[in-house]
Amino acid sequence: MPDADVFDAIASPVRRAILDLLRGGARPVHDVAASFAMTRPAVSQHLKVLRQAGLVTEERVGRERHYRLDARPLRTVVDWAGHYERFWQHHARLLGELLESSE
Amino acid sequence: MAAIEVDQFVARPVQRVWQALTDPDLLARWLMPNDFKPVVGHQFTFRTEPVPQHGFDGIVHCQVLALDPPQLLRISWRGGTLDTTVTWRLVPEGTGTRLLITHDGFDDTDPAQQAAMKILGGGWQGHLARRMLSVLDDAAYEGGG
Repeated sequence: MPDADVFDAIASPVRRAILDLLRGGARPVHDVAASFAMTRPAVSQHLKVLRQAGLVTEERVGRERHYRLDARPLRTVVDWAGHYERFWQHHARLLGELLESSE
Repeated sequence: MAAIEVDQFVARPVQRVWQALTDPDLLARWLMPNDFKPVVGHQFTFRTEPVPQHGFDGIVHCQVLALDPPQLLRISWRGGTLDTTVTWRLVPEGTGTRLLITHDGFDDTDPAQQAAMKILGGGWQGHLARRMLSVLDDAAYEGGG
């Protein structure tokens, strides 16, 4: 099972929206804050949670810190979440094939 | 509560699909080896390969909860960290059968199951998460691997 931090990080709609925003490339905090009409401290707090989950990385650009999406930890979440759906899809197909291959 | 729902059209009549669902030998051929009996209250297991990363030892403990031939079968489904329910509904469609599988009862208090259900139930799996992962694929492509 994936790291609980990743689940906590994506449980918040705001943090999911931040991740979506960062798909477009690295951005400074004030940019993220402006996109969500949030205070910088509030955004910084969300970015901290995302950073601890390994979903964003921080880099210095001049006097600013830019945040960049790292989607890799999401792979395990999607794999886990999709596990049972794939399981039933697979076995439902097998059932169909079993019956349809015989008269 | 969010549930996993899968639907499959089978080009065979409802009676045939019902048989595949409730005959233990047939059931073993498309699902897993089992000691199922079509009797409400019957306790049985499915046996398969363990999946350690899901905390699953390979044994699913089940009980027949509801049986309404040839249209509904509901069983409890306990294995690993799961304590859930699986329901099969058979709906005639033309000369075939629409098979609807619902896997529900995921634990809302377990953060992992909660998040997984949120992703599946909220369409996140289909949209946002997939878009995020497409970034990964792009990055891998740009990196030459």
